Amino acid sequence: MKWYEAISKIDRRIIYLCLTIFIILPFFVPFKLRQNIMPQTQQLFDFVESIPPRDKAVMISFDYTPQTMPECHPMAIALLKHCFARNIPVVGLSFDIQAPGLAVEALTTVVDELNHKASNHEDSLFYGKDYVYLGWKSGFTAAVLDMGESIAGVFPRDYFGHPVDSLPLMQKTRNYKDVAIAIVLSASAYPEYWVLYPQSRYGVKIGAGLTAVMAPKYYPFLQTGQFSGMMSGMKGAAEYEHLIVEKGYAEKLGRAETGMNSQSIVHLLIIIIIILGNIGFFFTRKDQKRS
Amino acid sequence: MKRRIPLVICFGIGILMLAQFMIPHPISREFGSTVNKWYIVLAAFALVLAIGNLIRHHSTKIRRKKTDWPYSIVTLSGMVAMSIIGFAGGIDPDSLYQTIYLNVLAPLGSTMFALLAYYMASAAYRSFRARSLEATLLLAAAFIVMIGFMPFGQYISPRLPAFAEWIMKVPNMASQRGIMFGVAFGSIATALKIILGIERSWLGGKK
Repeated sequence: MKWYEAISKIDRRIIYLCLTIFIILPFFVPFKLRQNIMPQTQQLFDFVESIPPRDKAVMISFDYTPQTMPECHPMAIALLKHCFARNIPVVGLSFDIQAPGLAVEALTTVVDELNHKASNHEDSLFYGKDYVYLGWKSGFTAAVLDMGESIAGVFPRDYFGHPVDSLPLMQKTRNYKDVAIAIVLSASAYPEYWVLYPQSRYGVKIGAGLTAVMAPKYYPFLQTGQFSGMMSGMKGAAEYEHLIVEKGYAEKLGRAETGMNSQSIVHLLIIIIIILGNIGFFFTRKDQKRS
Repeated sequence: MKRRIPLVICFGIGILMLAQFMIPHPISREFGSTVNKWYIVLAAFALVLAIGNLIRHHSTKIRRKKTDWPYSIVTLSGMVAMSIIGFAGGIDPDSLYQTIYLNVLAPLGSTMFALLAYYMASAAYRSFRARSLEATLLLAAAFIVMIGFMPFGQYISPRLPAFAEWIMKVPNMASQRGIMFGVAFGSIATALKIILGIERSWLGGKK
């Protein structure tokens, strides 16, 4: 077998082995890469930064599943840290049936971490006052539209069974007028419908956290200003982590940073094998034409 | 009559919902809100139907011992076990339900999705070849975007991330917008056809 035939027919098991090594390596040999912050991530960060403390709430729609957790979960963690560090109340909810478990985990992780560091009662975060998780609701389009009239009308009880009207945060967050921005963390078409229905009718500001594969579809929404910012994929999450660390809202970078290192190396490997495949292809074609 | 009544309901509700979306009057908003609440309840019933369907499908499979029937036992036992655990022990952050979700379902889901990376890498190596001008352009755009968005990109050239961003913001956005317009016009046409009773396949497939 000629050399160019060999490089165009690499056994898939070798590719799988290289991929495994390249994915695992950054977890054992950590290194730091400088992130170039994309404008849309900066835009979302700046928007949250501009919300006055203890005023309107940030609504986070946790609509990702375990399958897309590595990309979207670090976004949720970074976003929650940013909001809580700036004393911005958070209202969480979900329309994807697999999401509540992850939403509860994200909220519990961040709240426990911050409460552990809190030096007094005032610094601590309390359920119902600083954050609320409303849970899951069926009938997505009708629910997001109806929340413009009354959030408690759509979610009479929260995820843990408390009457929503009895929670202090929800007494001042009646509908979209009391929401500074709704940020949708999703791997599907949910952010688009947030723009189509509640934004077109009630003018609520929308931000998004999407998987990298979904992000290209949403660039038109950024250009029109219908999105007030966007995090795309693990890179977006890593960038947001960098931004909150730079501003002093978090002490260390999160999981997206390590994930991004793995992803960068794997992308490099994929580029190399595609180039090798193409070199092999060209020489084989040349050979065939000659013969 | 069986066909005319659903058509009349569809036409009436379709026109009313279209009108109420445009009219910001309290009566219109109240009407919209009430219909939305009905829809939420109806959507929840769809879930009950789905559970019933799942149970029926898998029980038949087990009874008739069809291909891979043992997996149906796993599906049904998982569903019953999680329901019992959820109803009995609650769904709080420290509940057994949440523990199982985070330690069984979440890793399984992530693992299944992570396997895609292997298939994608192998498929990209085998099929991503510059066979024609279009394929070469696609290959070049993919390389620029991948390298530009990687943190390594800025070390190769400080202009590379900006160029990758330009590809996303100009050629990508133009094509995405074209697709969106096409889908939107198609949706409007289909919705109008359903509301006006021209498209009737939803009634049972007969014209």
